[in-house]
Amino acid sequence: MQEKPVIQMLPDQVINKIAAGEVVERPASVMKELFENSLDAGATQVDVEVIRGGRQLISITDNGCGMNRDQALLSIERHATSKIRSEADIENIHTMGFRGEALAAISSVARFTLITRPEEELAGTEIQIAGGKFLSCDDIGCPVGTRMEIRNLFFNVPARRKFLRAEQTELSHIRQLFLVMALAHPDIGMSLKVDERMVYSLPMSGNMEDRISELYNHSFFEQLLEIDYSDADYRISGYAGLPQTGRKDRQDQYIFVNGRPASAPVVFHALNEAYHSLIIKGRYPAVFLFIQMEPSLVDVNVHPTKKEVRFRLPNQLRDAIVAALGKALSFDSAVERPKVESQKSISIESDEEGIELPPPALPGTPTPPPATVRPIFETQKQMDDILRKPEPLLDRKPKKESRSSNVEHRTSKEEAAPSQPSPPSPSPEKSPWGWCRIMGQLGGNYVVLETEDGYVLMEPRAAHERVLFEKFMHAAQSHAVQKQGLLAPETVELLPSDAEIVRTNITVLQELGFGVSDFGGDAFIVDALPVYVQDNPVESMLIEIARELEKAGKTRGARELVQEKIAQTACQMAVRTKDQLSDQEIEKLVADLAKTDMPYTSPRGRPTLIYTSFTELDRKFSRDG
Amino acid sequence: MKFSIEKDQILEALQKVQSIVGQRTTLPILSNVLLEASNGKLTLTTTDMEVSVRTSIEAEIDEDGSTTLPARRFFSICRDLPSHQVDIGVSNEDVATIISGSYNCKLEGLSKEDFPPMPTFEESYSYTLNQGTFKDILQKTFYAASTDESRAILNGSLMAFRDNKLTTVCTDGRRLALVEQEIDIPEDAEVDIVVPSKTVSELIKTLDGEGEAVIKTSATQVAFEFGNIFIISKLIDGTYPNYRQVIPSQCEERIAIDREMLQSAVRRVSLMLDDQAASVKVQITENRMELLTSSPEVGESREAVPVKYSGKDITIAFNPAFLMAPLKHLDSDEIYLELSDELSPGVIKTNVPFLYVIMPIRVS
Repeated sequence: MQEKPVIQMLPDQVINKIAAGEVVERPASVMKELFENSLDAGATQVDVEVIRGGRQLISITDNGCGMNRDQALLSIERHATSKIRSEADIENIHTMGFRGEALAAISSVARFTLITRPEEELAGTEIQIAGGKFLSCDDIGCPVGTRMEIRNLFFNVPARRKFLRAEQTELSHIRQLFLVMALAHPDIGMSLKVDERMVYSLPMSGNMEDRISELYNHSFFEQLLEIDYSDADYRISGYAGLPQTGRKDRQDQYIFVNGRPASAPVVFHALNEAYHSLIIKGRYPAVFLFIQMEPSLVDVNVHPTKKEVRFRLPNQLRDAIVAALGKALSFDSAVERPKVESQKSISIESDEEGIELPPPALPGTPTPPPATVRPIFETQKQMDDILRKPEPLLDRKPKKESRSSNVEHRTSKEEAAPSQPSPPSPSPEKSPWGWCRIMGQLGGNYVVLETEDGYVLMEPRAAHERVLFEKFMHAAQSHAVQKQGLLAPETVELLPSDAEIVRTNITVLQELGFGVSDFGGDAFIVDALPVYVQDNPVESMLIEIARELEKAGKTRGARELVQEKIAQTACQMAVRTKDQLSDQEIEKLVADLAKTDMPYTSPRGRPTLIYTSFTELDRKFSRDG
Repeated sequence: MKFSIEKDQILEALQKVQSIVGQRTTLPILSNVLLEASNGKLTLTTTDMEVSVRTSIEAEIDEDGSTTLPARRFFSICRDLPSHQVDIGVSNEDVATIISGSYNCKLEGLSKEDFPPMPTFEESYSYTLNQGTFKDILQKTFYAASTDESRAILNGSLMAFRDNKLTTVCTDGRRLALVEQEIDIPEDAEVDIVVPSKTVSELIKTLDGEGEAVIKTSATQVAFEFGNIFIISKLIDGTYPNYRQVIPSQCEERIAIDREMLQSAVRRVSLMLDDQAASVKVQITENRMELLTSSPEVGESREAVPVKYSGKDITIAFNPAFLMAPLKHLDSDEIYLELSDELSPGVIKTNVPFLYVIMPIRVS
């Protein structure tokens, strides 16, 4: 028999333990809380040390403002905080933490040591707590700042301890967190020591470029395009990876809202939208996204660990992100070209100037990556050169054989006429490929191009899809899609679900040049097709479009996206029926692809070009370059 | 097997049969030409399993027999033979020894046992018409056939033998070419067949202007016999769409144009287009037709063509390739373009029973 349950107030220690359950989930969450405290304390250097995946020790040392004894004693009380004062402040949060729970919670489940000294005091304070029990408070000599040591996490909560994962797993969480912090605060020097071994040592005053290069490597940074966008409510900066940085998870997608690492479904949706014609579904490109907005536009008080945030105007934000990425990936725009050029020239200047100092950053807000620093990096630059360089390169490389589309022409006798381009090759003035030369086809499929600094493999179908898609979309955007009338209008009977989708999108289809009209029931009459995809069989094209739109889901309401999806599907079908290419067709394709805004991938995100530099070949063949 | 033959003769025969030989065929035997020598005749046969071509020529046969040789290579060898006479002997292992003047070579063939046998043909109807006329009909229509494999029925020429007329129709759903020719059709021999485009182009290549051509049909096949050539082909299965309904019964306006002048004008203005999706705008006013083209980043062009016309002003756009194709294959000096408005189909006619319907491109 059970006693009658009696309701009573819990002692503080129990409350803290319960709170710890929310805040302190694993070593990484301890580190996060402490790290944020350091940032809020205005530290410019934060050193992290962990032993055994944080189970034995997590220590964080900063050079922030420190606390005097009274403050330090107060800090370990629950709901004691320096970060907010009143209810109104909750609506307007500028600091990392604010709930005032962290230290109390952590100290209740670990052996906790706090050593701190503010600048104005001579002696520091050392406070020791174990499992929520206050042990000692002494004077100690220490540098300005705060040092926290968390030993034997969960020593008094066996249930929790049992649920900790393997050291490796906990460690990888810690490293991931460190990475996020490092990205969010390039202006702060940081180091991470794991089991007595220095893993990262990131100098302060680094800009975003240096930070990313240090965390990854420089060649990774080369694959990023800068994001720089602002409108009335949002300022979005950072870097967007080229489609080839895509991976199967979102590990390399970092999103920071007002400097706080955050994730919100709406942001991921926006990323998907921005990349949807560039990358295959299920692959996620590297993105470093810094979003700044009025604190009142975002609610961070959703989750104790503040991982997820809520936006007041999610649709607006989504549009802003899509626009920002679209701009960076130069997908939409003729406007973009000159910008890329100017960025380049600026970056050359800054190279000459040497060091670019980052703008001073306010604590707790992210440093927007300096807009001017845009490195000229090998792979991408060369690709850009190949694709954009207008001047004929023949003159520069007179010793090269003339350009020729024909493999047979590649014999030595051709050297006899070096300056005379063979007739079928695109004229250098017109072709932005410079003197790229078509070497032939591999496996009856891949086109091999030689360029100045290397070779390019091109996948003709993907390339053709891209060319067709952009022509189609350009025509659609200028509302000038020409449509070829059909001799006999075709009646297409669709399945009810497909018919519904076609019906809802019928105006978009009509805008795109599909002469489709409702014929009652689930039947439609098609009397014209857009000229770009006029060879496609009508019925299967409509079905395919309906299916693709269905897959895309209802969330993407924007008209342009529906347009893109339709064009994408139709173009893909138009290319599917294409077989072996003639030399002339390859030449035209190469020239057309070079003119597109996003030549690197097909509209569905398959790569069109793989570039290999001669330097890389030399390296692979162990030749000294 | 052993025979000797004039170089020109075998060359001509090979030329007629070799074009259907596939270059990238999965069955090696299909790249070969079957040679059969008997009764003072050498018979050459090639096939791609859809269509088979056979021709016979006279030869001095020393020893009957048969073999198959790689068609393309055999043809190249014969073309370059030094003497006008060639002696060919074939061993039991299907190795051919080709001797001509001081040249000799051994060419390895494949056994004739592996060569697909000529399909048996159960004739139901037979029609006769002049070779030249037949060729002319095919030439004036074949280009309008569809190449879209998803619409197989349109990948060929409809030949409708009805009402003492052979009506030949090709269409790809956006334009349609039609020629009618009066021929004798035996009673109860009315039939519609759809001949694959490949067979039609083979016919155009081999039909020669002289003599009669006999067309024999069966339920699934068609055979053409003319000169010393015999072509047998599968038919495309299915029902050809009702082409009559897409031919406008009446157009409002009629423009008389010099064919060659229009053709070269269309060709010239098309130079400004580098896209199969491009269009040429046609502005028609009194006694004047102006062609306009433009493409972004390339340029624009216009050309005026004098015409005979007194109707209302019309502006309409066409796919230049569609407009050009019939002009190229017609031989009349003057053609008539009949139009109603910018959305209705245009019709090209001549003095002969030819008709070409073309759907305009609508510019939104």
